[in-house]
Amino acid sequence: MSAFTSSPAGRNSPPLDSWRLLLREAVKEVFSMMVGAEISVPGQADPPVVREVTGMVGLAGELCGVLCLRCSKSCASKIAAKMLAVPVTEAASHMSDAVGEICNMVAGNFKAKIDGLQDKCMLSVPTIIIGGDYEVFSPAVGDRIELPFLFEAEAIWIGLDVRS
Amino acid sequence: MSIRALIVDDSSVMRKIVERCLRQAGMDLGKVFEASNGAEGLALASVNTFDLILSDINMPVMDGLEFVRRLKEMDNAKNVPIVMITTEGGEKSVLEALSLGAKGYIRKPFTPDQVKEHVIPVLRSQS
Repeated sequence: MSAFTSSPAGRNSPPLDSWRLLLREAVKEVFSMMVGAEISVPGQADPPVVREVTGMVGLAGELCGVLCLRCSKSCASKIAAKMLAVPVTEAASHMSDAVGEICNMVAGNFKAKIDGLQDKCMLSVPTIIIGGDYEVFSPAVGDRIELPFLFEAEAIWIGLDVRS
Repeated sequence: MSIRALIVDDSSVMRKIVERCLRQAGMDLGKVFEASNGAEGLALASVNTFDLILSDINMPVMDGLEFVRRLKEMDNAKNVPIVMITTEGGEKSVLEALSLGAKGYIRKPFTPDQVKEHVIPVLRSQS
């Protein structure tokens, strides 16, 4: 399976439905293996988007775009605490590093699930934004996948913007 | 005798996870040295002797492939077994790391058992 399929209009479109499933699987695997905790999919209503901490990893090559993770500071500290196996009170200073590494691993694990993409798509080092007063602009038209998760009763949103 | 290990990764969280996995694998680790990029790793390798080096590939300042390339030019470090631990798990990266002299390769995310499966045979092959 190639990364993109041609649409009647000639624009190469990613198979978003199957990628949504692969991204969900990639997120769950990273949390299970590296955080040591399960992350769940919300049952009915989507949780609110809290973007006190935003992690971003760029993808370049055959698949070009940005993967981002948005959550609260409290949630980011809990993730760091689990990864380091220390109390949450000792983990706050590591939350940026932890969120960046989660983004990196989710992006890498996601692209590894798409046949033929592994060697044709490179990842940037992660960028972390603390605070929610920002806007993101992109010059390219693209597609977006957004997935909500719950981690210890807190919302985590994973987004994948793919530029065509 | 305890093992002197160097862990090179730009994420301090990841360095701690790798160290924990090595200890969970039952390895008798002595002092574990940490570096946040290849340049820092080279500086440590120039003044210390290691039994094992684990390195990420995708790092700022100096990436893991250049780190391995330079390490192999150092008389005191060229025979130290190196295992790459990275998100860039494509065949191209694997082959390049191995051709430069890395002895093994672990793709993130990983479990402690996977670290054990890859690192123990590398250490045994050196002894």
